[in-house]
Amino acid sequence: MLEVRGLRASYGETPVLEGIDLSVGDGQFVAVIGPNGHGKTTLLRTLSGLLEPTTGEISFDGERIDGLRPDLISMRGLVHIPQGDLPFGDMTVEENLLLGAFPADAWRKRSERLERVFTLFPMLAERRTQRARTLSGGERRMLALGRGLMRDARMLMIDEPSLGLAPVLVNEVYGHIETIVASGVTLLLVEENFSHVQAFDAHVLLLESGRIVRQGSVAELLADEIVMTTYLGT
Amino acid sequence: MMASFLQAIVSGLVTGSIYALMTVGMTLIYGTLRTLNMAHGSMVMVGGYVSWMLFDSLGWGPLAGLVAASLVAFLFGILIQQVAVRPLIGKLGVDFEMTAFISTFAVTIVLSNLALRIYGARNKAVPPVIHGRLHLIEGVSVSWHSLVMAGVAVTMLLALGAFLSKTRYGLGITAVAQQLDAARLMGIPDQRVYNLTMGVSSALAAIAGVLLASVFFVSPNAGDLPLLKALIVAIFGGLGSIRGTILSAYIIGLLEALISTYFGVRWSLPLLFVVIMVVMLIRPTGLLGKPEEARL
Repeated sequence: MLEVRGLRASYGETPVLEGIDLSVGDGQFVAVIGPNGHGKTTLLRTLSGLLEPTTGEISFDGERIDGLRPDLISMRGLVHIPQGDLPFGDMTVEENLLLGAFPADAWRKRSERLERVFTLFPMLAERRTQRARTLSGGERRMLALGRGLMRDARMLMIDEPSLGLAPVLVNEVYGHIETIVASGVTLLLVEENFSHVQAFDAHVLLLESGRIVRQGSVAELLADEIVMTTYLGT
Repeated sequence: MMASFLQAIVSGLVTGSIYALMTVGMTLIYGTLRTLNMAHGSMVMVGGYVSWMLFDSLGWGPLAGLVAASLVAFLFGILIQQVAVRPLIGKLGVDFEMTAFISTFAVTIVLSNLALRIYGARNKAVPPVIHGRLHLIEGVSVSWHSLVMAGVAVTMLLALGAFLSKTRYGLGITAVAQQLDAARLMGIPDQRVYNLTMGVSSALAAIAGVLLASVFFVSPNAGDLPLLKALIVAIFGGLGSIRGTILSAYIIGLLEALISTYFGVRWSLPLLFVVIMVVMLIRPTGLLGKPEEARL
């Protein structure tokens, strides 16, 4: 569904991604694991068009999307749930969610989508008229996930859903991600901590200094001693 | 004594309404594009000329002018966005806020001189929507035209509020203003939102221009004073805050009316500036402005 070949990107003069190849199949769960500052967020920002790649190809559903504007990429159903959640702070929870249904076809079904998200996250229903900036960190994360689920995503990209959350909330967030995975959505997830994705049947890529240094299934990586000691620090 | 106070309140409310209508577009543009649109006053002038042309050639009154002027100014807004603002967006090494400020000011100069060339320097007069005055109580009256002005202004502000909070593209404008990256990730086309914002804002200014054309006259520099007033109102209210703008418009309208009633009209601007300066010393970001954060 998503094919990436030789992707390079930089912030100004500083190269961040130094030739990434990856592919995500229909219904597959791919996790990119790596330390902070090695290009995980940049990878997602480049895929969703917020950052233009210097070279390389990105195709989604067989069509090239590199260089397209982010709103056009998003309209094709590649939905990016960004790091730091980026809520619309002065708008209500409900308005934030409605904006997740911005594409015309999703907008027509916005009421039923809203109900679906409220069933998944009852806490958001309780806070629907509250301004997003007054939410706690965990609530904001749920809002960001809910906003991404308001539309017909063909594929979701989630940036470090555990960032800055207490362990109990991390478990809750990953509980929701389990539900999303179980519903058959194609998922590309970026995470610093390998242990969060160990329980999933995921294909894992290790990203270091802007390159994919190892990849394999969760079981393969767990069995690989070099990987575990060198990259995952156990 | 009581009558002159009430009279000042009535005219202050009318002035405040028209100030709010004149300024809210400037606020909307600052909220989304983060620059002051110095061509905003020109849209007041354009509104006035459209209204005058309809009256002069077809004999149509200002009500037809309201519709025509808002359409014409909507297109002008998009044109200004495409010509003077869009080429500057996202340019590396360019201070967008400052360059767009200058380029839109250049638009004002061009439009004023075009108007001078086409219509000449002579003032054009447009009749009011309705003649006559409404006598409220002994010694307090208001012209029917002023009531129409306040009514149209308040209606347009309410309609704008509903548009921004209820419709798909209205919410899109607010989203772009508050979190541009997230808005783009939602699939909101930012360039189209900028066009829409400039179009709607310019249309609102032109509506103010049609209403004001019957009170003052239309001339090539009919946009200068409205631009100055809109800048004062927008900065005093807090740049980018719509609620702040409306609050500030009424405060300034009422202050002007009260000062000219009690101290004479020549004191109205100096005293107003003193009040604004004192408030800005205490609240540098204006009444409801927030420092460098999400706005609207």
